[in-house]
Order: sequence, then C-alpha cells, then structure tokens
Amino acid sequence: MVGPVDIRVERERPLDPEAPPPRPRASWHLRANAIVIAWLGLTVAVALGGDALPAPRWLLVHVFLLGAVGTAILIWSEHFTVALLRVRTPPRRGSLTRLAALNAATVAVLAGVSAGPWPVAAGGAGLMVGVVLWHGTVLVLLVRRALPGRFGHVIGWYVAAAGALAAGGVLGGLLSAHLGHGALHERLHAAHAEVNVFGWVGLTVLGTLFTLWPTVLRTRMSERTRRASRVGLGLAVPGLAVAVAGLAGGWRWVAFAGLVVYAAGGLAALVPLAEALRRKQPHTGASWTLAAAIVWFEVALAADLVVVATRRAHEVAAALDSLLPLVLVGFVAQTLLGSLLHLLPAVLGGGPARFKANAALLERGWAARLAALNLGVPLLVLPVPRPVTLLGWALVLGSVVAFVVLALTALTRARPGGAPPPAAEDAEGGRTWRKSLPAVAGVAAGCLLTAAAVVAATSGGSGPATPVTATGSRTVEVTLSGMSIRPAAVQAPVGTVLTLRVTNADAQRHDLRLATGERTPLLAPGRSATLKLAPLGEPVDGWCTVAGHRAAGMTMRLVPTGAVASRPQPSTGHTGHGDHAATAAGPARLDLAAPMSPDWKPYDAMLLPAPGGAEHRVEIRAEDTRVREVAPGVRQRVWTFNGTMPGPVLRGRVGDVFVVTFVNAGSMGHGIDFHAGATAPDGPMRTIQPGERLTYRFRADFAGAWLYHCSTMPMTQHIANGMYGAVIIDPPDLPKVDREYLLVQGELYLDEPGTDAHVARIRKGEPDGWMFNGTASGYDHAPLRAEAGERVRIWAVAAGPSSGTALHVVGAPFDTVYKEGAYALRTDDPGGAQVLDLAPAQGGFAELVFPEPGTYPVVDHSMRQAEAGAHGLFKVAGR
Amino acid sequence: MTWWSAVRFLHVLSAALWVGGQLTVSLVVLPLARRLLDEQRRAAVLTAVGRRFGILTAAAFLPVQLGTGVALAWRKGVTWSSLADPGYGRILAAKLLLFCAVMAAAGLHGWASGAARPGLARTMAVSALVGSLGVVLLATALPAT
Repeated sequence: MVGPVDIRVERERPLDPEAPPPRPRASWHLRANAIVIAWLGLTVAVALGGDALPAPRWLLVHVFLLGAVGTAILIWSEHFTVALLRVRTPPRRGSLTRLAALNAATVAVLAGVSAGPWPVAAGGAGLMVGVVLWHGTVLVLLVRRALPGRFGHVIGWYVAAAGALAAGGVLGGLLSAHLGHGALHERLHAAHAEVNVFGWVGLTVLGTLFTLWPTVLRTRMSERTRRASRVGLGLAVPGLAVAVAGLAGGWRWVAFAGLVVYAAGGLAALVPLAEALRRKQPHTGASWTLAAAIVWFEVALAADLVVVATRRAHEVAAALDSLLPLVLVGFVAQTLLGSLLHLLPAVLGGGPARFKANAALLERGWAARLAALNLGVPLLVLPVPRPVTLLGWALVLGSVVAFVVLALTALTRARPGGAPPPAAEDAEGGRTWRKSLPAVAGVAAGCLLTAAAVVAATSGGSGPATPVTATGSRTVEVTLSGMSIRPAAVQAPVGTVLTLRVTNADAQRHDLRLATGERTPLLAPGRSATLKLAPLGEPVDGWCTVAGHRAAGMTMRLVPTGAVASRPQPSTGHTGHGDHAATAAGPARLDLAAPMSPDWKPYDAMLLPAPGGAEHRVEIRAEDTRVREVAPGVRQRVWTFNGTMPGPVLRGRVGDVFVVTFVNAGSMGHGIDFHAGATAPDGPMRTIQPGERLTYRFRADFAGAWLYHCSTMPMTQHIANGMYGAVIIDPPDLPKVDREYLLVQGELYLDEPGTDAHVARIRKGEPDGWMFNGTASGYDHAPLRAEAGERVRIWAVAAGPSSGTALHVVGAPFDTVYKEGAYALRTDDPGGAQVLDLAPAQGGFAELVFPEPGTYPVVDHSMRQAEAGAHGLFKVAGR
Repeated sequence: MTWWSAVRFLHVLSAALWVGGQLTVSLVVLPLARRLLDEQRRAAVLTAVGRRFGILTAAAFLPVQLGTGVALAWRKGVTWSSLADPGYGRILAAKLLLFCAVMAAAGLHGWASGAARPGLARTMAVSALVGSLGVVLLATALPAT
C-alpha cells in the first residue's frame, strides 16, 4: 500500500532511487486500517441500533470519533511523519502496542460509560491519555532524529493534536467520574467537546492538508506553506488552550477570545491552500469533497464562535449539541471520504491503467453525491420539521452508501488478470485484499444472518404478550435532578394507563427512557415532557440515557401492584390499604422530603421594619416567564411581580402614601389590586397590555396585613400562578419585637400555566400542594431562625386563590393575635390562641415566645394542606 | 438426571462437534495446509477433509440434531402457533431459520467446491461458520426451564 505522501514524492521528484520502505509496512497498514473499517462498521451498527442501546447519542459519537477517527489519526499521523521526515519507521512493536492500548482504552471508555461502573471509563480515559502522550513523544523523537527537511513543520500539528486529545481525555475522564455537578459539568462538557473536535481532529486535518491538498489538486506546494504553518500553529494552539480554559472556568469572553485566536490560526493555515486553489481549480471529486469539508469546518468554527459569544459557559454544551451533525458529517466524515477518494486508487494498485479505471469508477457521479451530502448537512442542523430532517439523513446516507458501493466494486474488480503490478508493495497489498475478500464476504453474510435472526428473536418483548386492558389512569410527576429520578418507584394497579410528566429540575440536561421504548427528548434544565404509556402489565424500568447517568443511579421502576383495580370503592366504608388503588387517579404526590436543588434560594421571610418617610415609591413589574423551584426538585413556570413569588413586600404606617409604578413586562394583559387602598377600581386596577405602565397611588388609611394581587380575569389563573404579595401597615403603637417574619400562603398547581389540565384543576380548586412564600416545604429545607425567650411576630396573608389557612406553631401557643385590623388577643390577656385563621385574602399576625431551644414546626393546621407543603420549621437556638 | 438429560446432552454434544469441527478446520487445518502443502496436495487434502466433514454432517450430525431437537421441542410443548409468540417461541423460530440458512450455506459450499468456484465456496464456508455461532448464541438465549 502506498500512502499519499509516497505518491506525491514520486510526482515531484521523478524517482527516488532508494525509497524502499520495508515491505511489511504494507500489510501492517492494511491490517491497522482494517481496525478503522471495523469501527466504522460498528458506527453504522450503533446508528441503526439506536434506542436499543444505553446512551445511544453518546455511543454513536464516541464509537465514530474515538474508535474510527481516533485509530485512523494514530495510524496515519505516524505514517505521514515517517514519510515526510524520511526517517526509519519506529519499532513496529511500539506502534502495535500503542494501537492495541488505544483500542483497549476506547473499549473501556465505551463500556464504562454506557454500562458502568464509571472507574472502568475513567481508567480507559487515563490509558488513552497515556497512549497519546506516548504517541506525541514518539513523533517528537522522530523529528529530533530527522535531518532538517521541508515538511518537518507538519509534525508540530500532529504533536499538538496529541496534546489536545490528552487534555480532552482528562476532561472526559473527569466527566465520566461525575466530578462537578450541574453547571460545572456542562462547562467541562463544552471544553471536552471543543478540545477534541478542534484540537485532536481539527489540528490533525489542518496539518495533513498542507501536503495532501496540493497533491489532490496536482499542483506544487506553495512557497509560503512553512511560514503559514508556523504562524497558524503558533496561533491555533494557544488560542485553543485559552478557549478550553475559558469554557471550563466559565469565563465566556476568555473562551471567545481564545476561539477567535484559534480561528485566526486556522485561517492562516488555509492561506497556502487558498493559494494552491488560485493556481489550480479543483477538478476532481476528491478535491471538491475536501474543499467542502474545509468549508464546513469554517462554518462550524463560525457557529461555535456565535454560540460561545451568546451563551453562558454552562449553556454552550447544550447549544453545541445541535451542531454535532454538521461537524461529524460535514467536516469529519467528508474529510474521510475525500481522502479515501484520493487514496483508494493508489491503495488498490494494479498499474497505471487499473489506477485510472479505479479512480474513474470511484469518481462516478461525484458531483451528485457531493451535492446530496452537502445539501443534507444543513437539513440536519437547521430547525426544520422532522420529515425534512429525515430527508437530510437520506441524502447524507445515500451519498455515503453510494461511495461505499463504488469502493466495494473497485475492490472486487481488482481481480486476477489485471496488468502486472508495478511495485511489489502494491501487489502485496492488493493480493491480500483480494484473497481475504471471500472470507470478509462470508463473515459479513454470517453476521447479517445472525443479526437478522437475533432481531427476529427479540422482537415483540420478552414474554408472552398477554394484552392488558386499561382499568384506570393516573398522572405522575417525575422529576430528574441530582443524579436521581423521583419518584424512584411508582406503584399502580395492573392496567393503569400511566402518564408521566417528566420535568428536568437539574442544572444539566437529562432525559427519561423506558424499557418499553417510550422516551422524552433530551430536556434542558427546567423543561418538561409528557409520556403516555400503554396499560401497565409488568414492571417497567426507566433511566436517563445521558452517558453514565444510569450507572450513577438515575433509574426508576414502574411496578404493577397485584390487585386488579376494582371500580371505585363504595364511599361509605373505610377502604383500608386498598385506598391507595382507589385514589390512584388523584393528583401525584409531591416528594417534599427530596432535596432542594443546590442553586435554590429561599424567599427571605424576615420582615424589615417600615422605612421612614410618609411616601413610598415602588416599581412593580409583572412577568410571566420566570421558572421557580416551587417544591423540592420541581421547577415550573410562574407568573410574578418583580420576579418573585410572592411579590415584593410593601410596609408602612397608617396614613402613608404609596406611589406604585406598575409595568406590564409580561406577554399578556395584567393588572394590580391593592386591598390596602381605597380607590375606584376603574382606573388603577385596569388591565394593561404588555409594554404598558400605569401609576397606582393609594393612601393606607387602615392598619393590617393586606393582600395585593393581579386584577386581570380569570383571577384564579393569575393568582394561582403566583401574582400576589403583601402590604403590611403597622397598627399605631405596634410594640417592637425581637424578630418579625412574614408568611404568604398560596396554592400550588403543578404544570405549565395555561394548559387545559392546569386550568381545569385550578377551577376545581384541587391544588397539588400549598406553599409558604412560594415554595412547598421550603422552610423545612431552609428553617427560620430564632432564639429561646425571644418574642417573635409572624405576619401571615392567605393568598388563596381558593383556600385560607389555620396557621399554627407546634409547641408554642400564641399570646397575641391580630387579625383583619383588630386584636383578637392581647399580650396581657390571660388567654392564648392556637391558630391564626385566615380566609382567602385575609391577613394578620400572631406573636409567641419560644420557651426553649428546639425545632418547632409552623404549619397550616388544615392538615391536608400542611402535609402537602404548608409546612416549615423554626430552628430555635439557646441564648 | 433423567433420559431427557441424555437427549439434551446428545443435542448439545453434536452441536459442539459440528461447530468445533468447522472451527478446527478453518483455524487449524486450513492455515497449516496452506503453509505446508503444495498446491496439488493441498487441493487433495482439503477436498478429502471437506468430503469427510460433509458425510459426517449428513450421516450423523443432521439426524441426531433434528431428532433430539424435535423431541425436546415436543417435551417443551412447542406448537407451530407458539413459534410466533414473543419470547421462547420466537427465539426458537429464529434459531431454526438461522439453522436452515447455515445448512443451505454449507450445502452451497459443498457444491461450489465441487464446481471449482473457490471464492463462493470460501464465502459460504465462512458464513456457515459465523451463522452457526449465531445459532449457538440464540440457543443460549432460550429461556431455561
């Protein structure tokens, strides 16, 4: 077999009298490249296997890039180095060991990430880093040993590429070990992708093009090549290093600057290629294909620049995901195709006539194939409807398959009877190919037969299909967060039609796939999707398909309970443990004991004293796009005043004037209604449209804890979705206390605001939970503080929309209760109170003294509401 | 340990002999013959090996395999319609079809060797070998009872 460089050398200098590379090289390369072909085959298998595999997207990318492309780069960068430097081949044993170790490491990484345990993957990544460092060292030693030559500069690119994979491998190892969660994980992911694609693959391709491109164009190498190569490498490598550091560290503009420098380096390297282009138009399929690949490289780089400039560092990885087909197909695969188009005729050998015939065969219809592939690539990337995306895949795959068919035809045509081979080397390679062809065909046929049989055998599930009839339905909220799926187990009677509403409450991307085949798309943080399942017959496993997450514990199980759900039980009797089955159709229960997300901040319940002055100016902006953590691990969109639920607290004294500038920054009409003011509703409480503002002026003539809320119909929606807040007007001579807290209680309806199910549940008044200050059980996770013996005043407002509260502190009776403008109980009265009861929209306060250190729950003593989130804790410390 | 164990033993043993025999011929006999024998002798030896293996297949392997296989299926209560059921039935059906394909490939190999079409003969031999490994794979996938 002859590498491209050998061909070029032959062409440039008529003949080198002694250029006899040792013969074994041919068969060595043939065998080494067989590994590449095998990985490519596996890539196709993974692509077709799709959803049946764990972590299919990850696997597809890594089988292709680590297996096929990685092996190819390892083999060919060493081969080119030897050929360009005209040095002796390094010891075969070393090359073989590196190749074996790289493949072993690849297998370890693939197995470790997709099936676990993660130390296998991390170990594989470590081994891979070791191999590429060794590879880089070998290249450096070869350069040292060689005489100064015209092509030595290319090796620098290969060494830098090896360094890039070493860095990328380290990052990959960290990712597989789940080091760094949430945003940090996403940042490392972005850095990992950038350094591997633009470093390991990009630098190698750029370096190779210096010699390959003029060869393909059949022109001389530009005089400026060496200089351009120096400058390009000098810019690209530090640029990439800075970019990767910036992405990993979360410094967006550092990353952007680094990428700009890298892009400048890339452009500098393309200067001699462009010059060659000016000298000679591309005229062959190979040259056009390579040119298209370079264009896609530039497009990918430009898109990458835009992404990095417009996203925060932890959002880059998600945004780059959609660019993946462009890079993999447009740039990497097309580079491979272009190179093969050029190299294969030489590899096949068989004399000048055969060379010509093979080249002509491979180039047959190249214009159409090129057009199809490059038309397909943008369709894969752009946000087009699904059928169009499928058309894109068809175009791309059709083009690739056409090439493969032509290549195989060329291979089989290389039959005995051709002209005698010109060089022993070619003949050796060709003969080996031809000889092994029947065996290869046999293996392929056998594997295909077996695969077909296995597919037939495993189709239609693993057990006898007993049709399960639907007996009921139930909706379950499923939350993906913190490397777990909540609830981890769902029990439902056989035949229940489960609907899973899956929400990603984490700061990184997840999805949910069930063993029965249903799956959500990859969900960005805060996004939701709904899965409707077939009637539950047997236990079904679910898991997150993002690489490594299943192994890390992101699994769930749907378990049918034995009893067939009977008709709704008679309402008279107590149904005992069958109760669960009967209420299965009710709303899903929140998992209030689950941890809050790490980045959740509780609404500050501490109430500040009224500011001085008799006039208070405040701006309140209505918004309806915020996503808040409304219960542990549950994020959903809420409608807010000034971005918080409840809205800002207004506090003043009797007679104070409030001048509120109300701005509608939302996407629909909103208004505002302050109960504390006396004014005709027509003007200030009118609904204003997005972008409009109004001034709402009122004087607080009466003391009390007042509600304010959105005044736009339907108010159930606007209030239930979060548009409420409190106005506190201190009664005259309000005594000073040690601490004041404010709890605004509201109802929680899970779901996207405005959806039919959400609206219906609000109208029926069936909340999924209750919240103090916007989070169900929030103060269980971030307890309120006090000290024993302190007098604590708890202000409360019931925002509803439909339920009030019976506020109670376990273990500490109230000695003062003030409700709706009047004291119901004064501090020096002999009696006490156990509950501050408020109907919807009422407000007041209660005072108590904590007798001793301890943990005192504060609850809505309508226990259903307490158990569904109207629950918090006072942590009382000793003095 | 019942008589059925003996039947199952025969089924497994005969399969092992047939697959193992193919592997031995492909991995041991063929390479050595290529290296040690000249072209004429090699052809003679390989033809003889092929003929003997073919006779063994037709005279011993196939009758034993079919007989014990049918018996085991009968005991298991397999019916024609149950072959379509997902799970045991479908795996068994796939295995039988693959087995038929392997036998067809082996037969083609014999014919191609006789008809002096070495390329086709080799292709068929290798696909029969790989396919029979697939049969073993499916056999291990059958749920045990």
